Amino acid sequence: MSSSTSVGTDEHPAVVLTGITKRFPGVVANSDVHLTVRRGEVHALCGENGAGKSTLMKILYGMQPPDEGTIEVNGEQVRFRTPSDAIKAGIGMVHQHFMLADNLTVQENVVLGAEAMHGIGKKARARIIELSGKTGLNVDPGVLVEQLGVADRQRVEILKVLYRGAKVIILDEPTAVLVPQEVNELFDTVRGMQEQGYTFLFISHKLDEVRAIADSVTVIRRGTTVGSADPKTVSSRQLAEMMVGSELPSPETRESTVTDTVVLDVKGLKLMTPDGSRPILDDVDMVVRSGEVVGIAGVEGNGQTELVETIMGMRKAGSGTITLQDRDVTKLGTLARREAGIGYVPEDRHRHGLLLTQPLWYNRILGYQTRKPTARGVWLDTDGAKKDTERIVADFDVRTPGIDVPAAALSGGNQQKLVVGRELSGDPVLLIASHPTRGVDVGAQALIWDEIKRARAAGLAVLLISADLDELIGLSDTIKVMLRGRLVADADPNTVTPEDLGSAMTGAGSTSAAVQETSVVEEGEH
Amino acid sequence: MISTMEEKPHIPAAPRKRRVPGWAVAMLGVAGAIALLSITSMQTGFPQLTSSGTTQTAVRLGLPILLAGLGGLWAERAGVVNIGLEGMMIMGTWGAAWAGYQWGPWAAVVAAVVFGSLGGLLHAIATVTFGVNHIVSGVAINLLGAGLTKYLSTLVFFPLSNNPRQSPPVQPFDTYSAGGLADWLGELEAGQRLFISDVAGILRGLVTGVSPLTMLAILLLPLSYYLLWRTRFGLRLRSVGENPHAADSLGVKVYFHKYVAVIVSGGLAGLGGAALVLNPGQLSYLEGQTGGRGYIGLAAMIFGNWRPGGLLGGAALFGYADGLQLRSGGETVLALVYGVVLLLGVIVVWQLIRRKWFSAAAAIFVAVLMYLLYISLDEIPSEFVSYAPHMVTLAVLAVASQRLRMPAADGVVYRRG
Repeated sequence: MSSSTSVGTDEHPAVVLTGITKRFPGVVANSDVHLTVRRGEVHALCGENGAGKSTLMKILYGMQPPDEGTIEVNGEQVRFRTPSDAIKAGIGMVHQHFMLADNLTVQENVVLGAEAMHGIGKKARARIIELSGKTGLNVDPGVLVEQLGVADRQRVEILKVLYRGAKVIILDEPTAVLVPQEVNELFDTVRGMQEQGYTFLFISHKLDEVRAIADSVTVIRRGTTVGSADPKTVSSRQLAEMMVGSELPSPETRESTVTDTVVLDVKGLKLMTPDGSRPILDDVDMVVRSGEVVGIAGVEGNGQTELVETIMGMRKAGSGTITLQDRDVTKLGTLARREAGIGYVPEDRHRHGLLLTQPLWYNRILGYQTRKPTARGVWLDTDGAKKDTERIVADFDVRTPGIDVPAAALSGGNQQKLVVGRELSGDPVLLIASHPTRGVDVGAQALIWDEIKRARAAGLAVLLISADLDELIGLSDTIKVMLRGRLVADADPNTVTPEDLGSAMTGAGSTSAAVQETSVVEEGEH
Repeated sequence: MISTMEEKPHIPAAPRKRRVPGWAVAMLGVAGAIALLSITSMQTGFPQLTSSGTTQTAVRLGLPILLAGLGGLWAERAGVVNIGLEGMMIMGTWGAAWAGYQWGPWAAVVAAVVFGSLGGLLHAIATVTFGVNHIVSGVAINLLGAGLTKYLSTLVFFPLSNNPRQSPPVQPFDTYSAGGLADWLGELEAGQRLFISDVAGILRGLVTGVSPLTMLAILLLPLSYYLLWRTRFGLRLRSVGENPHAADSLGVKVYFHKYVAVIVSGGLAGLGGAALVLNPGQLSYLEGQTGGRGYIGLAAMIFGNWRPGGLLGGAALFGYADGLQLRSGGETVLALVYGVVLLLGVIVVWQLIRRKWFSAAAAIFVAVLMYLLYISLDEIPSEFVSYAPHMVTLAVLAVASQRLRMPAADGVVYRRG
């Protein structure tokens, strides 16, 4: 890797952005951004969510024109009107949210828009198979994308970019959806391709990863570049402080507040796939006590989502009981369970947490439409809702011009703060938090962590599902590992490392004393 | 280096069943349907169920449904829900009659396509450019189609035919029959032997009295398949219906493809209107002539799971139900109820094998109900008979719509940026 940093200085840099400014009505997304990416390097761009990374990349990829500033590629000034122009200049982008059509095959997704190169038939297929090796993709091009896992979808995205002959590849938060082992595989792929002369622009706010993969780092804050650093000499903490511009948060919880009072007791919970062929949840037993944070670790798609949705009553359990504070809630509907004292931070705030087109105060009512302060008898209490929304906005530092703006106008972090604030109001006894800080900037992350810690100290029971293993280890009092619908291992957050957890999550067996298997997983059972 | 389907490490464990090719399923389906009809006609003593006359009528009546469904396929594959097919079809009927009585059948076809396309263009402008809800725009076009043609018929046709609801007669297409083959099949059909006579009857219906429009419509089906699934243009069009953001990010002109798809959709619906006007039984424009066939076409397409092959099956089913009631009346439709009982019996066995107790019980319940209906009535009341196709549509969609998969971005208004 170090060899690749010694790129000849006489050559033109791969990409130079000079003085880029982009304004949207009411906000300046980028102001006077400068960025130089040398050929053959992995250049990381770090910044909080809402700092303007995405806008900058959209400008570089031709999706939006800059208001001011210039783009140079290989020493030539260019103007991109559409992504096709950027593609022609050899720039490709792997989006954070995959840009794939699930119901089309890998091949169709790859050749789409580039049919002129090798057609859409056999020649294209041969070329795809030839390129797949570079990305580590190991599937037939005729397979539908919906059948692929997250890591393979990402490989298809990289393949798309390669197929078009891109030499500069933008990776937009590529690790957000991957488990540690997959991240390592991705990094191997990136390094391999780097040796073949590809240049990467790596956007991330995971600083350990940036330091592991990047040859140079540029930090962006509030829409402007605040400096560059050498990832070999800078620490994650220093980098993060550059990003935030202030002191740093940590998920670490200090003293235990676990009590003996059982809040949530799940016994023998089972759930089958809709066609009844295979269990999604298989005999799940779990207890969450007052003042305790129970973390669930697992590769996505192993039943975590379904576990949460079954506890919330959004899915009907096949068998088993769910008891909340000595009250059997197994037969209750979702609203009744919420009224019984469950707060719920859903994993996808856009699908389940918010109505994006509705104002903030209206979103405050959701899930509380039968309770004070947002309802009075059968009527909604809009004044009460507005007043309480003001409280949340103030207490949870939701940055918004007002409570009448639609939720869509807020950045991801601020939307999430609103959701967490709403779910912690009305004195819940149990909080279910699914990926509470996913896609959220460092500032909002710190605030959400603090609020969860504070509520835990006050006796709240918390069930935490997260793909961010540092978060899971830092916040949890107990960690359980979920694999193929079962809780297969317990881990001690005081001693376990993310790597241990990662191998337990993939079923590779525990490599550490900190992870204790609770049941044997039969291989090849299904 | 590249492995086959077996090695997919990230796919959740669930063994892939061996795929039966689509054409084999289709052939099995056709064979099953013929066997079912043949047994029914033997048991109930109604040879009309599989007679060449019924088949011929079914083809004529299925044609508009097929074309409307094909129109729906084009629009929805590009992500635009086209409930306005009915309105575009009405515009097509008026256009066909207006050009048809003056310049002959080919002019009728061209005018119908043009009028239908205009409806499609309107739908595209509303939904794609202005982001109007697809259903709202579609319903508006249906109302507009009905109102506009009423106005135009009063204006143009009334002085000629003395009837504001009807056009002067249209000159028909010449029809063609496969002479020797049809005669030979006719002999077989008259033989009244199980299966053989039934198959012969259906085949004879298919090769007798075929108009160029029928041939054109039948050709449009594989042509649409080829264009949509085997060409670059089709790939782009479908990608727009699955994930327009992804398509846009790859330089596909989303708006352009949606426009083309919806205009073609309107043209096909209009052609369906021409098929109604040029139907030998009618040969003129009549107000209310479409009778909801645009909607039924849409239903046929949904039944066919947004695929051309399935769409053909749906159109055949609805055309058959329509043809049977028109040709033979209440008694034979009742015989069809008997056929449904037989079909449900097969479904019960199938569901029992799959251990789907609830579905099996539901099927038994419906089967018993249908059987009681069959033995307690002599014929279906005529008030209901003419609604047979609509009822079949309803029943089929209620049963079949559970495992269907529409294009992912169907009905979603796309905005760039």
